[in-house]
Amino acid sequence: MEKNFIIAGFGGQGVLLAGTILANSFMLAGKNVTWYPCYGAEMRGGTVNCEIVVSDNEVSSVHKKDTDYALVLNQQSFDKFVARIKSGGTVIANSTLVADTRPRNDINYVFAPMGDLANELGTSKVTNMVALGVLSSAIDVVDKEYLALGFEKVMGEKKKDLVPLNKTALEAGYKALN
Amino acid sequence: MTDINEKILIKGNYAIAQAAVNAGCQCYFGYPITPQTEIGEYLSGKMQELGRGYVCAESELAAINMVLGAVSTGVKAMTTSSSCAVALMQEALSYACGDELPVVLVNVMRAGPGLGYIYPAQGDYNQAVYGGGNGDYKIIVLAPSTVQECIDLTYRAFYLAQKYRNPVILLADGLLGQMMEPASFGEYPYPEIDNSSWALTGAKNRNGRIIASVAPDEKKQNQHIYNLFKKFEAITQNETDYEEFMTKDADIILTAFGSMTRNIKAAMNVLRNKGLKVGCLRPITLSPFPHKRIAELASEGKDFAVVEMNMGQMFKDVKYAVEGKSKVSLINKPVGEWLSVEEIVEAVLEGVRVNELTRV
Repeated sequence: MEKNFIIAGFGGQGVLLAGTILANSFMLAGKNVTWYPCYGAEMRGGTVNCEIVVSDNEVSSVHKKDTDYALVLNQQSFDKFVARIKSGGTVIANSTLVADTRPRNDINYVFAPMGDLANELGTSKVTNMVALGVLSSAIDVVDKEYLALGFEKVMGEKKKDLVPLNKTALEAGYKALN
Repeated sequence: MTDINEKILIKGNYAIAQAAVNAGCQCYFGYPITPQTEIGEYLSGKMQELGRGYVCAESELAAINMVLGAVSTGVKAMTTSSSCAVALMQEALSYACGDELPVVLVNVMRAGPGLGYIYPAQGDYNQAVYGGGNGDYKIIVLAPSTVQECIDLTYRAFYLAQKYRNPVILLADGLLGQMMEPASFGEYPYPEIDNSSWALTGAKNRNGRIIASVAPDEKKQNQHIYNLFKKFEAITQNETDYEEFMTKDADIILTAFGSMTRNIKAAMNVLRNKGLKVGCLRPITLSPFPHKRIAELASEGKDFAVVEMNMGQMFKDVKYAVEGKSKVSLINKPVGEWLSVEEIVEAVLEGVRVNELTRV
């Protein structure tokens, strides 16, 4: 089994961090995983993305032409990556910033108001964690408990105080589709 | 304290930086350039923390010459850079070979020629293996294919540089530098090399020493170069390293270096499933190059397809090794997004089809 994810959004939405947490969650679950960012000028605004490949065996190629899943946090990313989703794949979109359109018939669509849910928790900074929560409820290979562990691993001892709020955000995302 | 064998998710660039620290690198000199800037960024804090040397040099030319100065005193030192800036260091590499200095240089390749751009490429194979400096010299070149190997081969780079008093280049690429993957550091696995017979440590209670490449005595200079090449023969004997996968029954062997290795292995599996007998060979040391092993496989009638992100640089070495004993083809693209597994599979199938047509 090998699956790949693209996570994309505006610079500042925590896209690369969300990808790092997702990749850590796979590592902690004992899977092989790679994380590859777009790098360069995108960090200063504009769209940013990273690609995560998870596999039971050795990861084949790190950067692929198409993707099984795309988690998109803004409209530009939706427009850009819908075309790159494999037939039968899924786009998971932040409906706070992405219009509910379905340009292809051969892929699945999941819309959830990730930005609004984050704002309800008091800060848009946790949009990325809400997004990962949505992802874990929509996609089988992503596990919410491992995501929480992944978050703790990435933040380390120094930023332990951020854990409760982010776990709440993860939970809010997970429940968003019910 | 974290367990040194614990796997952590880490970027290739940070892996190289921490591995250099573990290997005992006492001095780092560098100048920022994408896609390897994280190495200098990491070491700017870490080296200070450890009371070691860190200089953000005024240029790459200065950085490599600072490394020459540092290693001549017997300490381990490193610089890291990328393609167009490594071009600026070629003169110093020639000097370091002539002087027999254990320089460690990391090149995280980006696209060229000229300034090119920051996306990954493998266009510096020739620059690393054949060099852009003057005179007859040879450098040891190691090509990692995973983040774990960024660690393991950084360790080996420091060791081989010390063991043979020869510059070593770790030839990584932008993809490897920027990607994250689980890896563990372990301990620096090599013994420390005694350099007290040559290092410039101050001439107290002994005669002075000179390390120089200037050679006004023709006879001595000839001997010096013979000695350098004799040394490299020993390096070739002892240190040539490569990995093989399913070559035993293979009709075609896919060959790649660095992070492209992952793609040829995946392509091999796809092609095997289609019933083609495909294997892989991947040089770990690009210099010394596994000419001998490739020649053996070629004499068994196995064809080669070299897959690389340049216009066919390693391709020439494979062809040279094969010496016309079998077919060698090139599957390539100059820069940017790596050739995908599907593209490699397609190219091999097309090649097989053409071969069959010519046989008829």
